Amino acid sequence: MDENTVSNGNEQDPSKSSRRNFLKNIGLLGAGVTAGAAALYSGDIFEKKKAATGESRVLLTQDNKLVEVDSLEMKALATNPTKMMLEKGREGIPGKRWAMVIDLSKCRNARRCIAACQEAHQLKPEQYHLNTLQMQDNAETAPYHMPKNCQHCDNPPCVAVCPVDATYKRGDGIVLIDNERCIGCRFCMAACPYSARIFQWTTPKDAGKHNGEAYNVELNVPQKLGTISKCLFSADRCRDEKLPYCVSACPNGVYYFGDENEDAVTNGTTKETLRLSKLLRDNGAYQLMPELGTKPRVYYLPPKNRLFPFEPSTD
Amino acid sequence: MEKIISDLSHHIRLNKGFFLWMGFLGLALIACLYAYIQQLSYGLGVTGMRDVVSWGLYISNFVFFVASSLIGMLISAVLGLIGMKWVHPITRIAETIAVAFAAVAGLVIVMDMGRPERLAYVFMYARFQSPILWDVTVITTYFVISFLLLLLPMIPDLAVLYKRFGNLPGWLKPVYKALSLNWCNLPEQNRIIRRSIYILLILIIPAALSIHTVTSWLFAFTTRSGWDSTIFGPYFVSGAFVAGTAAVIIAMFFFRKNYKLQDYLTDLHFNNMGKVLVLVAFVYLYFNINEYLVPGYKLKRADAVHLRELMSGQFALIFWLVQVCGLLIPIIMMLFRRMRKPLPLTIISAAVLLGAWFKRYLIVIPTMSHPFLPVQHVPENFKVYTPTLTEIAITLLSFILVLIIITLISKFFPVIPIVETANDKGLDPLKSIES
Amino acid sequence: MLLLMVSAAGYLPAQNPGWIVPDDLKSKICPVKFSPEMVKQGEGIYLKNCQSCHGLPTKQNFAAIKPSPGDLSEPRVGTQKDGELFYRISTGKAPMPEFRNILNEDERWSVISFLRSFHKGYVQPDPGKSSSTAGKRIKLLMTYDTAKKRILVKAVELNKEGVQPAKGVGIVLFVQRYFGNMQIADPKTTSESGYAGFDWPRDLPGDKTGNVIVGARESDPTGSMQEAMVIDTLNIGVPTDKPSLTDTRAMWSTRDKAPVWVILIYTLAVITVWYFIIYIILSVLDIRKIKQA
Repeated sequence: MDENTVSNGNEQDPSKSSRRNFLKNIGLLGAGVTAGAAALYSGDIFEKKKAATGESRVLLTQDNKLVEVDSLEMKALATNPTKMMLEKGREGIPGKRWAMVIDLSKCRNARRCIAACQEAHQLKPEQYHLNTLQMQDNAETAPYHMPKNCQHCDNPPCVAVCPVDATYKRGDGIVLIDNERCIGCRFCMAACPYSARIFQWTTPKDAGKHNGEAYNVELNVPQKLGTISKCLFSADRCRDEKLPYCVSACPNGVYYFGDENEDAVTNGTTKETLRLSKLLRDNGAYQLMPELGTKPRVYYLPPKNRLFPFEPSTD
Repeated sequence: MEKIISDLSHHIRLNKGFFLWMGFLGLALIACLYAYIQQLSYGLGVTGMRDVVSWGLYISNFVFFVASSLIGMLISAVLGLIGMKWVHPITRIAETIAVAFAAVAGLVIVMDMGRPERLAYVFMYARFQSPILWDVTVITTYFVISFLLLLLPMIPDLAVLYKRFGNLPGWLKPVYKALSLNWCNLPEQNRIIRRSIYILLILIIPAALSIHTVTSWLFAFTTRSGWDSTIFGPYFVSGAFVAGTAAVIIAMFFFRKNYKLQDYLTDLHFNNMGKVLVLVAFVYLYFNINEYLVPGYKLKRADAVHLRELMSGQFALIFWLVQVCGLLIPIIMMLFRRMRKPLPLTIISAAVLLGAWFKRYLIVIPTMSHPFLPVQHVPENFKVYTPTLTEIAITLLSFILVLIIITLISKFFPVIPIVETANDKGLDPLKSIES
Repeated sequence: MLLLMVSAAGYLPAQNPGWIVPDDLKSKICPVKFSPEMVKQGEGIYLKNCQSCHGLPTKQNFAAIKPSPGDLSEPRVGTQKDGELFYRISTGKAPMPEFRNILNEDERWSVISFLRSFHKGYVQPDPGKSSSTAGKRIKLLMTYDTAKKRILVKAVELNKEGVQPAKGVGIVLFVQRYFGNMQIADPKTTSESGYAGFDWPRDLPGDKTGNVIVGARESDPTGSMQEAMVIDTLNIGVPTDKPSLTDTRAMWSTRDKAPVWVILIYTLAVITVWYFIIYIILSVLDIRKIKQA
C-alpha cells in the first residue's frame, strides 16, 4: 500500500526488466511524490491569497468549482494525487444511478466506440472494455451485432469474490477497480458471466510513456501490469457531466446513457435526451442473462426494424 | 527390539544416493526458479493464459495439491479413529505427504498471482465474503494441524533415537533433543500427547473437509458451466481421497524399497491400501457419473457446449484417458488380489495419480475456454489455451519443492513410527534402552 | 408567422417525410467566406460524424442503408443551395440525426465547406449579402398552472409598438437532466393570445425536494443561436431520494458491510479451531517441564 515501503531494488538495464522499472517508479512516486505532479492532479491552485499558513485559499477543483480551503488542509491533500483520486473514486456521485441503453437495431459494428474506449483507457487492440459481438440466438433468428461491456450489475458476482476490496461497487452503481490494491488473483474474471474483465498479462500499452503518472482510479490509467481492467462507465466523464467515451463516439446512435433516478438517458450521437422508462417500455428492452440474478445496469433494445442489412463482421 | 529401532532408523544417514538425488532436485529447482524469475519480471504474459482462459495450469495444479494433501486426514484420522491398526506404519508417510503438499499449495497460489508482492493485502484488507480468504485460512490451519500430527507422534521416537543415538549423523543430535521435549515416557507426558493427538485427529476432519470444499467453492461460486454445481464440495473431497491414496501408495513403494522396510510395509499394507483406493475411486466414479449425467440429461445451452467439448471435442482425448485409464481400468484391476501386490499396485497408482492431475486440468480449462458469450475479435492464442514452457517449468517447480520436503522429512526422521510399531508388538523401546 | 408554423411542424423527423426545405431557409448563406482551415475542420467533423453512413466523398463507399445515404460529392447534392444543405444537416431525417443538437452553426457550415470542395463549378454566394436575420425579437415567459397541472408559455414580441403577444411561435418545452435537456411533449405553437400550454408529466422525477429545472425555447429547425429561451426552477417534480446502491450489507459489499452472519461464522470458526491448536501447542511444550518424580 505504502509506496515508500517498496524498495528500489538494484539498478538494472531498464529496458530489460519492465517490472523492476515499474517498482522503481512506484518507489520514485512514493519517495518524493513530486510537487509538480501533485499540483497538476490535486486541483490547480487558482489563486493564492497572502501565503501565510492557516489562511483560506480559493482553489479550482477538478470539476471546475471554486472552493475556499484552509491552506493547511490543502497541503495535506496535495501530497499524494493517487491517494486523493482513490478516495474520491470510492465515492460515487451522490443521488445518481447510472444506466446504459444499447439499441441493437442501430448497431452496424462500426467499432468507433471500441476505438474511443481503447484510446481513453490506454488499451492494446486486443484488449476490450467493450467489444462488439456478432450474435445469433439460434439458427432461425437473424444475426445482429451486440456491443458488450461491463454490465455494472447491482448484484455483482465479481465484486463478491474479491479478497481485498480492490474491485468495488459505488453508490451510483459503477463497479470500479483499484489497481493500487489488486493482487492479480483473477477470481473476478472467473466469476463474471459476461467476460467483461481483462487482465494486464504483459506490459501495458505505452507503459514507458506514462511512467510516474498518478493513478486515476476513475479512468484506470495508467494501466498496471498484473492487474485487472474493465469498463468503468467512464466514471471520470460522468463526474464532468460528459457522456462516456464509447457513447459519444458512436456514429450510429446506438448508445443512450443517463441517470435512472432522473429517468432520463441521452443518446451519444444525437444528444437527444429521452425518458428512460418510456424508451425501455416502448421497445421491449431486455437485459443480458437476467436469470443469473446479476441485475445489470445495461439494457438492450432488440434488433427490430433495422434500417440496414446485416453485414457479418470479419472475425 | 534393537532390530526394530535399527531397521526403522538406519536410513537416516547422508549417503551418496541422497546427495545425488538432492543434487538433481537442486539443479532442477534452480532451472525452474529461473522460469519464475522470468514471470516476476515480465508478468503473467509469459504463461499461455490470456483473457479467455484466465486460470490455467497453476490453478489446476493448486487444486491437485490441495487434493493430494487431504490424504493425511483420511489415513490418520478416519482410519485411525475407527481403530484400524494396520495403518500405523503408514500414518507418518500420509502426514508427510499432507504437510508437503499443503505447504506448497500455498506457494502455487502465489505463483498464480499477478502481484505476488501484494500477498500481505490478503490479510490487511481481508474481505470476509471472499472464498479466497476462507481458502487461505483453512489451508494455513490444515497445514498447522497436519504439521502437529506429523510432529507429536514422533516425539517418543525422537527420544528413543536421541538416547540410543548409534551412528546417526552427529548434527541431528541437537535437533532430536530439541524436538523430543525431554520425553521420558512418563504417564503425564503420555497423557498430554495422547489427548493432544486425539483432539487434533478430531480437528483435522472438519479442517480437511473445509480445505477441499472451500477450494471447490472457488469454482462452484461462479455461474460458469461445468463449475456451477452443488455437489462440487463432496465431488472434490472424494477426488482428493483418490489422488492422495495413490500418492501414499507410490511413496510407500519407494520408501519400502530404498529404506529397506519390507518387513514393516508388507504386502498386507499394500493390499489394504489397494482396497482403500478401490473404495474411494468407486465413490469418485459415482460423483463423476452424477456430475456429467445430470447436466448431460438436460443439455442446457452452455452445459451442452461444455460437455460436447469434453466428450467429443477439443478435450476428448484427455477426458477419456482420465476416465478410462485413470479411473475405470484401475478400479477393475484393483478388484483382483494379485493387482494389489506392491509393484502392480504402484503402477496402477501412478496411472491414477496422473489421471487425477489431468482431471484437475479438465475441471479448470474447458470451463474457462467456453464462457457464456462468444469469444470474438481476439488473437488465436486467446481462444485456445496452450501452456508455455515457462509455465510448465514453474509448475514443475512446485513438484520439486514437494519432493524436496518429502525427501528431507523422510531422510532425517523415522518414516515408520518406532515406538508405535514396538508397542503393537508388546515391546517398550524406551525401557529396553534405559535398562 | 407562417414560416414558424411550418418549421414547428417540421421539427420532428417523423413528421418530415418529404424533407422539404422551407423556401426562405433555402436562401440562408454562410456568413463567412470558406477558407482552407474551415474545409480542414469540416473534414475532421465529417470523418467523425458523417463518414460511417455517407462514406468518403467520391469513393462511393456509403453504407447500404435504406433510404440510401448516397455519396455527398454527387451533383444531386452539389446543385442544392447552401441553405438547403444547412437545413438538412440541421434537421436530419431518420435515420440521419438532427445535427442541430450535435454541431454548432459554425461546425455545420464547415462541413458544408468541406463538401463544397468536391462540387465542381460551385461558387460561394457573397457572405456580405447575408441578410442579418434581425426580424422579430421574441421573449418568452413561463408559468405553472397548479390546478390543471399545465405549463403555460407566453411568447411576446418586442417591436416599435411595444410589447405584444406573439402568435404562431413554435415552442419546445424541456427539463434539464444531467447530460442534456429532455424535451417534454411535442412542440406547440402559440395561440392568438401568445400562449402555448403543455400538460406536465406528473411522474417526472425531480430532485430530493421535487425541484425541476424547466425551460422553454423558441423552436427554430436550424437551431439558430438567437432563439428566445426561458429557464426556471419549479417545485413540480416527483421528489426523488433513492438510497445509495451500497447502503445495504451484501455479499458484494465492502468488508465493512459484509453480512453479519458471514463475519460471525468466519470469526467463530477461526477462533474455535485456533483456540484448540494454541492450547495443544502450549500443553505439548509443557512436556519438557515434566521431570521424573
